[in-house]
Amino acid sequence: MTNDAAPVVTGTHVGKTFANGAVVALENAQFNIPKGTFVSLVGPSGCGKSTLLRLIAGLIEASSGEITLHGTPVRGPRQDVGMMFQKATLLEWRTALENVLLPTELQRKPTRADEDKARDLLGLVGLGDFAFSFPAQLSGGMQQRVALARLLQTGADVLLLDEPFGALDEFTREHLNLELLRIVGELGATTIFVTHNIAEAIFLADQVFVMTPRPGRIARIVDVPLERPRRLALQTTPEFNRLVVEVRETLGEL
Amino acid sequence: MALAPDPMGVALRRGLTHAGLFLGLLLLWETSARLGWLNPLFYPRPSDILLSFGRIYVTQGNVWYHLYVSLGLVFTGFLAGSILGVALGSLVGLNPTVRRFLQPYVIVLEATPRIALAPLMIAALGFGAPSKIAIIMLVCFFAPFINTLSGVINVNEEKLELFRALGASKWQILRKLVLPDAVPVIMAGERLALTAALSGVLVAEFIQRDKGIGSLILTYTRNLNMASAFACIFTLTIVGFLIFKGMEWLDRRIAYWNHDADMARVSARRKARWEAR
Repeated sequence: MTNDAAPVVTGTHVGKTFANGAVVALENAQFNIPKGTFVSLVGPSGCGKSTLLRLIAGLIEASSGEITLHGTPVRGPRQDVGMMFQKATLLEWRTALENVLLPTELQRKPTRADEDKARDLLGLVGLGDFAFSFPAQLSGGMQQRVALARLLQTGADVLLLDEPFGALDEFTREHLNLELLRIVGELGATTIFVTHNIAEAIFLADQVFVMTPRPGRIARIVDVPLERPRRLALQTTPEFNRLVVEVRETLGEL
Repeated sequence: MALAPDPMGVALRRGLTHAGLFLGLLLLWETSARLGWLNPLFYPRPSDILLSFGRIYVTQGNVWYHLYVSLGLVFTGFLAGSILGVALGSLVGLNPTVRRFLQPYVIVLEATPRIALAPLMIAALGFGAPSKIAIIMLVCFFAPFINTLSGVINVNEEKLELFRALGASKWQILRKLVLPDAVPVIMAGERLALTAALSGVLVAEFIQRDKGIGSLILTYTRNLNMASAFACIFTLTIVGFLIFKGMEWLDRRIAYWNHDADMARVSARRKARWEAR
């Protein structure tokens, strides 16, 4: 049994350069993320937040340092981590249910239990009635819900979300953020969420990694000691605003 | 009387206008021919064409055999040519090295009118069905080849990254992403190919006049039996229209996700399959 207090994701002096070292995308990132923690990565473009996410996902390789997941170093895409992007990236010729089943299909022939799990996950993201709809028949928000269900179908307990609701309107996004908190809370998943919206970052997270550009680095890790479950009204409280100020100061905006 | 025009009435009136205009044109043609304004040698009367239809389809009934021969060639050549096109298109599309070396030849061949090679096919394969099928294959090959190639090359990068992140094998990426993603553009190529096949069979039969609807047109024209030639040409018009509609039907079945009504149909079917599992 793994100890709950042991970090699920760690980074030791992680760096990433592009163009033969000419561009430093990420420099000396150090972090420990305990199980079940919700981490937000926030910062302006070029601060390396997407790079860090892709490094953890094993989609790119670190130039220096090491990232570990569940205690083993990341060397490529793996089963215990799943990623979701700003675009839903659904296959248009598959129904919502068939899209959710894709990760399973790529590993083995789906069993009846896999199929039932996919159906349940669609229910969990609020699309129980749309299991047999095609992506073109769904709204942008609904497509992102399918993408979230597909991410959960992988069974990964580390979820990497790269501005997952960034392309949606404000109301839909706030609503989906609340749903996301409920779902990852129910599953006890460790979540890393990239955003450039400071309030959103604080509202969702247990820890905010404030990142600054040129070179990209984690300037500060801000703890968010606000109680859960979180309600939208939280954003008008003095404690919340104090955290916003703290993040903005780190970003050099005040 | 209703003030707002009812849609049914509008459609009916429009249909009647079209029919009236068409009948007027036919009447004009018939009268001009009867009055000797048109040379009857080249422009037969509509009534004569109608009589020829009756003769070649009913009393003499000879067109059926030729139609059967031609359509047989069309479908054989089309299937062979387009399957070859799709297969080679995928192969070349998936292999960057092959693509780089093959590219110049593809450009040269694409710029060459394929029909120009028809006599060479006869020289190589002799008279008979094989050379005719080869000519049709030649005109059918390129559209599916080029479309498959571009469909396979232009795979959505984000989808590709998703598959990689999910640990998909190369074979899975091909079968579950690249090929289905290319289906609509491949189908567009197939539509062009089948239309080309119809022209191809006519060229093949004009060069080798033994049987088939192309030979029949040539024979009638040489005998100055223009009414029957026109009946054959209109037959081809109908065949062409049916082919077009048929391919449209097939496209809606295969690339259903591009058509709202078909999506709803497939959706209902998958739901039924799930419930019956």
